[in-house]
Amino acid sequence: MTTPTQTALAATGTDHHPLAGQPMTGAEVVVQVLADEGCGVLFGYSGGAILPVYDAVFRYNAGHPQADGREPMPLVVPANEQGAGFMAAGYARASGRVGVAIVTSGPGATNMVTPIRDAMADSIPLVAICGQVPTSSLGSDAFQEAPVSNIMGACAKHVFLVTEAETLEATLRTAFEIARSGRPGPVVVDVPKNVQNAALRFDGASRLPIPGYRARLRAAENARLDDEACARFFAALAQAKRPLVYAGGGVVAAGAAPALRAFAEAFGLPVTTTLMGLGGFDTTHPQALHMLGMHGTAYANYAVEDCDFLLALGARFDDRVAGVPDKFAPGATFIAQVDIDPAEVGKVKPADWHHVGPLAAALERLTRYGQARGIRPPLDDWHAHVAALKRDHAMDYDRESPLIQPQAVIEAINRRTRGRAVVSTGVGQHQMWAAQYFDFREPRQWLTSGSMGTMGFGLPAAIGAQFARPDALVLDIDGDASIRMNLGELETVTTYGLPLKVVVLNNVGDGMVRQWQKLYFGHRFAASDKSLHRKDFIKAAEADGFAWARRLEDKAALEATIEDFLAFDGPAFLEVMIDPDAGVYPMVGPGATYAQMITGEFIASRGAVPVEAVEVPSTSMF
Amino acid sequence: MKHTLSILLQNESGALARVAGLFAARHCNIDALTVAATHDPSVSQLTLVLHGSAAVLEQIVRQTRKLVDVIDVNTLSLVGDDNAPLALATQP
Repeated sequence: MTTPTQTALAATGTDHHPLAGQPMTGAEVVVQVLADEGCGVLFGYSGGAILPVYDAVFRYNAGHPQADGREPMPLVVPANEQGAGFMAAGYARASGRVGVAIVTSGPGATNMVTPIRDAMADSIPLVAICGQVPTSSLGSDAFQEAPVSNIMGACAKHVFLVTEAETLEATLRTAFEIARSGRPGPVVVDVPKNVQNAALRFDGASRLPIPGYRARLRAAENARLDDEACARFFAALAQAKRPLVYAGGGVVAAGAAPALRAFAEAFGLPVTTTLMGLGGFDTTHPQALHMLGMHGTAYANYAVEDCDFLLALGARFDDRVAGVPDKFAPGATFIAQVDIDPAEVGKVKPADWHHVGPLAAALERLTRYGQARGIRPPLDDWHAHVAALKRDHAMDYDRESPLIQPQAVIEAINRRTRGRAVVSTGVGQHQMWAAQYFDFREPRQWLTSGSMGTMGFGLPAAIGAQFARPDALVLDIDGDASIRMNLGELETVTTYGLPLKVVVLNNVGDGMVRQWQKLYFGHRFAASDKSLHRKDFIKAAEADGFAWARRLEDKAALEATIEDFLAFDGPAFLEVMIDPDAGVYPMVGPGATYAQMITGEFIASRGAVPVEAVEVPSTSMF
Repeated sequence: MKHTLSILLQNESGALARVAGLFAARHCNIDALTVAATHDPSVSQLTLVLHGSAAVLEQIVRQTRKLVDVIDVNTLSLVGDDNAPLALATQP
């Protein structure tokens, strides 16, 4: 089973690559394929087993200066390989292009495991190239050897171990194809050092035969809704009085945001998005209900409770949305689902109508079909109901407190960025406040570790995003505990002169963990209090070269400080000492239903939820 | 109920480990597994027996089809279901 018999498909066709037939080393082949795939920036950390590729990148950049003198493929060096992985992911999330990370064998590769798994869980296209010990040393417990194909095979969309140098070029090109096609994901290519040094001949077009994958991909990508499927969809919609769209990260990944807007406007359906779907539908649109789920808006969650027709688009009913699947959208007598991944259809909740295919094409087809037949569901009552939910259960917090509330910080920034900033986050309370209180006008403005929930994601992801969108205002909204995890990357910001803005909402500990400990563990704050920690974040930022680094402790200075911070021309670091007891509300507790949602002291609840209803046995909680 | 899966797999480095790893990661126990070469040296055939509900089977088959090396998956339910037709049936 381990005999590599993969043969590369020969280059075909008349459009020959200008370098076809040229002798190249394996390392040069790697760099040429990266250039052909349009890589504008690489993220990675060097080491013994990847040195030939690093040398080839150096020579390529020296040999191909751009008109402005800049390198065509700059190599951005993080403090830790995990940072490179999240930079590549931030680049991919902000641009929609494949992010590329290049690391060495052993620890370089194992430090990439977390970003690879994170990208898999959020369907982000990455290609990670890992150096590996020479094929003659594979399996010998060599220096800096790790079983990368075994480890990554469990985490990535696919992993290749290139044992035959002749297949290197085809393998790399195929890695990009797999990463960006279908449901996107990370692909790892493990390249032994002797393969990098092999004398090869570039062919410019070869790919590996992956007949099963390509056949399934072709079937999904060519699938189109026929008239009968459209008719069944609209027949069900005609029966509905309270239809709702539940849009996930698939809307962003598929580039389907314009098609979703046209569809929602054509038929008047309100839209709520998941955490991953934020920006897939303009949150300032009158039909937008912002985010649903565990920490969704109360009005979105009530609309889910009240809807009788649910259309899931590139969304997978995960446990932070549908903690109790059979009580999720309990009034929905018809559930429709569109996804590019057949395995997601009906995985958690049965669908009455489904389509596996490209999302934008499906929405455009439905819109054309409905408009051609003059379909316009009479939804005035439902619109009035949804408007009342938005008015009566609006997001709110403790505005009178003398302490700085984190929500006020986000609101103050949002008043100035007006839904146009690119925002990354760590994981925890600050992530949820940012999701709740920022506006997102467009897709790819919201970069967050949704499924894996990886603390430390925010800072490197913001760095990658700034490379993808050099002219955009990129903000890292972080927490004091999350940013600690990759604090070394502060220096990367200033090394590359990136104008990104870092906000640390400091509540002196792991706020979300404390919130759960308050609710479910009798206020015993095991390992989540950091009041004895001595870190001075301002000194740390200054030590790493931030010319603008300030701590905000006075509520009265909030607006002026935010103004000054955002106006600074260059990297800026703002630490805000927030109310350590601020909580994230609403909250649908782990294992609880939307009917058991608690809205906190400042958001109106639709009815008193009895305390016992909120209590969930710890065995059904995660 | 027991189910038998017939999986055609590209004969690639690590391909068998990926199939076995998928079942382990998705908490699906493999009761029996055999691997054999086919007339095409680039293709192997796996025959795999597992037990579980129809929903478990459907989900694990769909996940198996997502593996890049997998060419095709067919299910054959023989044991524990007297009414099942004794034939290879391709999942929709």
